[in-house]
Amino acid sequence: MGAIRDYFGNISSALTTAAKGMRITWRYFKHEPPITIQYPRERVEPPPSYRGLHILQQDKCIDCHLCAKACPVDCIEIEAIHHGRTLEWKQFSIDYKKCIFCEFCIPVCPVDCIHMTSEYELATEDPDGMVEDLLTWTGLRPEDQRAVEAAVNKKKGVAAPATIESAKGAPEPGSAEDKAAKIAAIKARLKKGSA
Amino acid sequence: MTSLIAFFEGLGLEGVLALSAAYALCIASLLGFITVYAMFAIWMERKVAAHIQVRYGPMETGAWHGWAQSVADAVKLLFKEDLIPPEGNKFLFWIAPAVVFCGVFAGFIAIPFAEGMQIVDLHLGVFFIMAIASVEVIGVIMAGWASNSKYSLFGAVREAAQVVSYEIPAATALLVPILVVGSFRLGDFNAFQADHGWLVLYNPFLTVAALIYFISSLAGCKRAPFDLPEAESELVSGFHTEYSGMRFSFFFLEEYASMFVAAALTATLFFGGWNLFPWGGGWEPAPLAPVILISKIFFFIFVQMWLRWTLPRLRVDQVMAMGYKYLVPWAFVCLIGAAWFEYMGWGGLFS
Repeated sequence: MGAIRDYFGNISSALTTAAKGMRITWRYFKHEPPITIQYPRERVEPPPSYRGLHILQQDKCIDCHLCAKACPVDCIEIEAIHHGRTLEWKQFSIDYKKCIFCEFCIPVCPVDCIHMTSEYELATEDPDGMVEDLLTWTGLRPEDQRAVEAAVNKKKGVAAPATIESAKGAPEPGSAEDKAAKIAAIKARLKKGSA
Repeated sequence: MTSLIAFFEGLGLEGVLALSAAYALCIASLLGFITVYAMFAIWMERKVAAHIQVRYGPMETGAWHGWAQSVADAVKLLFKEDLIPPEGNKFLFWIAPAVVFCGVFAGFIAIPFAEGMQIVDLHLGVFFIMAIASVEVIGVIMAGWASNSKYSLFGAVREAAQVVSYEIPAATALLVPILVVGSFRLGDFNAFQADHGWLVLYNPFLTVAALIYFISSLAGCKRAPFDLPEAESELVSGFHTEYSGMRFSFFFLEEYASMFVAAALTATLFFGGWNLFPWGGGWEPAPLAPVILISKIFFFIFVQMWLRWTLPRLRVDQVMAMGYKYLVPWAFVCLIGAAWFEYMGWGGLFS
């Protein structure tokens, strides 16, 4: 009798499991909204600890080369001439062909002047453009500079001098304007870098 | 068809010329229909798959939900290099896609989309479709052999074993409505179901036979969970591993065209054809008939896709066991049971 019970058991289990599976896939088909996003038009906001492109607060930097020494792949090139306490900057560049985004350069900085943003769109058509001169930030418009400051503050979890800055018209960190400014800044910088 | 010939004779063409013109027009329109349908079905398959897997699927090509994705794919396939394995049999390799496609293409000529709207009104319509669809297996074996590749050959052998095995339950299950209606002509099924309601509800054996035919037709179309001939995880892509470009697209076209034929047979023989409601019909206006039939066909194509993304692929022995141990005996039970019901004069829920 066991064989016969197995035979009919197989039939009923085949039908019931197929029906159950079809019910599950129908639920996904009909009711679950897609969890993927349409990338170029929709973007994921990376977490605050995301390790993206670097930014440098040039006025704070003391040319100590600790970040370059900490770098496991030697992708940071620094060159400055000291005139007493003032520095004449020649170069502070990161070669993103080498960079492994390990973030070793960030905690060693004694004056906390180098940071990593959450900018992740690093694709370029020009490999030479991947050596980024962080000094070009200083050539940014004031509002872009403020966006960088805001990004740094957000990165560090500092609630920014929001009241004062926003009174001056700086975009709220994480807001749409802030994002737009950041993207504009990155684009401008990439253009300069590859030129 | 006869009306088309009369139309061309009215234009002043002689007998043979009018006949050739009518056939040429039919074949051209059928080819156009199959191509457009296959493009739509491929897009639909990708969208159904995507939404079942909680994705979007193609969204960029064409403005609305990637509708032009299949067109773009077709253009790509047209311009791809046509590779022929140097060690293979060139002639068989060259002719196999045509043989495969011809089998399914010929099946289309017997499908009635409405009263009189079919290319040839065959008295053995069901038999013809079943018989001509088997030609496809020869083409697949040709393709597998001519490719000179172990994956292709394995795929072709699996295809042959599977399709030949599943033709037994499919044909036996199709005999059940034929027994009830008493005709092989597809138009007669529509007329019968207009009077008596859908055959799937006519008696319980027909319900089971419809299920058996649907499962067997899945195997006949090489659709999941019976997609062993092109099992991607085992055989690269089975019998068409070595094919590229336009020849590959013929296999693709064939798969979707055979899905259409199988769905059309299911809809016509069991689910009322162009009769809209399960309790019969005949009152639907004639222009609506193809719309009703094609929407039913697309429903069954959707179920085929739905099943594909629900069930995992069976093992070879499981496929064979399912065919011979479960479907064949039950198809015969249905045949004998339906004959008994007919003899006793039972059945006919709505007649």
